[in-house]
Amino acid sequence: MSHIHIPDGVLPAWLWVSGWVLTLAIVFVAGRLAERTDVRRKVPLLAVVSALMLVAMSSEIVPLAYHVNLTVIAGVLLGPVLSVIAAFIVEVVLAMLGHGGVTVLGLNTLMIATEMVLGWALFRGFVAVLSRRWVRVATGIATALTLATTTTLLVGLVALAGEGAAAAAGEQPSLSVARFAAMVYTLGPLGWMLEALISAWVLGYVARVRPGLVWDGALAHQEHHVLGDKGVRQ
Amino acid sequence: MNIGSIDRSAVGDLGWLHRISPRAKLVAFALVLGAVVVTWNLFVAAALLLLLAATAASARIDLRLAFSLAAYPALFAAIFALSSAPDAVAGATMVVKAVAAGLAAVTIVLTTPYPHVFAPIQRVVPGIVGDALLMTYRTMFLLLGKFGQLVRAVRLRAGLRGNHPVRMARATTTALGSLLLYALDLAQRDYDIMRLRGYSGRLRVPLPKSISLRRDAALIAAATATFALSVAWRLGWRTLGVHSWFVPLPALVLLGVAAITRTTNQEVDR
Repeated sequence: MSHIHIPDGVLPAWLWVSGWVLTLAIVFVAGRLAERTDVRRKVPLLAVVSALMLVAMSSEIVPLAYHVNLTVIAGVLLGPVLSVIAAFIVEVVLAMLGHGGVTVLGLNTLMIATEMVLGWALFRGFVAVLSRRWVRVATGIATALTLATTTTLLVGLVALAGEGAAAAAGEQPSLSVARFAAMVYTLGPLGWMLEALISAWVLGYVARVRPGLVWDGALAHQEHHVLGDKGVRQ
Repeated sequence: MNIGSIDRSAVGDLGWLHRISPRAKLVAFALVLGAVVVTWNLFVAAALLLLLAATAASARIDLRLAFSLAAYPALFAAIFALSSAPDAVAGATMVVKAVAAGLAAVTIVLTTPYPHVFAPIQRVVPGIVGDALLMTYRTMFLLLGKFGQLVRAVRLRAGLRGNHPVRMARATTTALGSLLLYALDLAQRDYDIMRLRGYSGRLRVPLPKSISLRRDAALIAAATATFALSVAWRLGWRTLGVHSWFVPLPALVLLGVAAITRTTNQEVDR
């Protein structure tokens, strides 16, 4: 459920402000950790993987009101630290294009980062158990489980928001959490299956064509030197 | 999503909003967003939407593009409203709020080059985050174009039509896989370029100075007034609620004036 398609101003302020504070804290820590080594390789890698997720998210499947996210694939390629940064970047760009609220940007980042990190961890776990030949199965199961988990987190958030709205004085209406949960758990599995199938196909293809990217991560490649540098080193 | 059109609109010198400094526009955006967040009155939310539509029309940006982008969150907001809103009015308010917030963001993006939009964020986050943010937007252009080409090529070579959904899905995911590999090669190329150009861990993005401080101040004052109106209606909803129907009327008049001026200017340009 990568990001929360809840309009600005629906969630109570304490919730989205907490989301922003927590997000800035983890992005700051992840940024400092990532800056320790090889920044020049990480910046373009983060940019292309984030852009890839944005391309996927900009293609909506209208009848389902669903779009592919590629978060698990991005998590597998980037690893946990860079995933947090990529999640923040994706949400900032989406918010500026009107897709996703600005106030919920913090919560969106936490949600998408959870999806990427959990997807990465589950994928590694399943591959360790099943063996590398089962890359598609491992990806599919990891993606479906990850999306089910983040959907439950989303319902939890709306439950918190519902309580906040009910407690707030004034004209703000309260949210119906039970109806929301029924809706997302009815429509959600279709999206999870779709995302799991697409992720499995794509990662299976990449594992066949360039296995190093999947098993070692996108940063593990040997450093490539351009001609000018080679000349200087010789 | 036509990102090429977004960029062309942002860098062109089309209307008055393009000539306002990015800082003033971002401050005004924050205030208008605050107004959208605060209100739970459908009439006030509709007035904000009309006001933003008038701003977009008078700024001479591509309205079809602006509204198509701003309408995107409406679908998701409608689903959220259907699934959780207690009544129809609250649901409609949620959708109008989503479109208004989206239109505010889109109006900024269509009148401001992206480095200027992201520069304030770049300054407060660690260098790697800010620099990757700037590069992401540019890379997205390249990948969207490439993805379109790949999907077309895969479908043509496989002779696919709509009556083979599984084969089409397989072909599209193969295109997505190829795009991923292309993207990683692109990252390598960018890395080479950054090495050659001596990238040292920070891209510098200077924000342009204001052309007219008076115009900047006027925009911020208008946004402050909008925010104040929204706050007043939220705090005094018991007494002001019955007069809410009046709020969208001035915004509607402004939209009419902006539409007439826009049409007149377009005829003069021809």
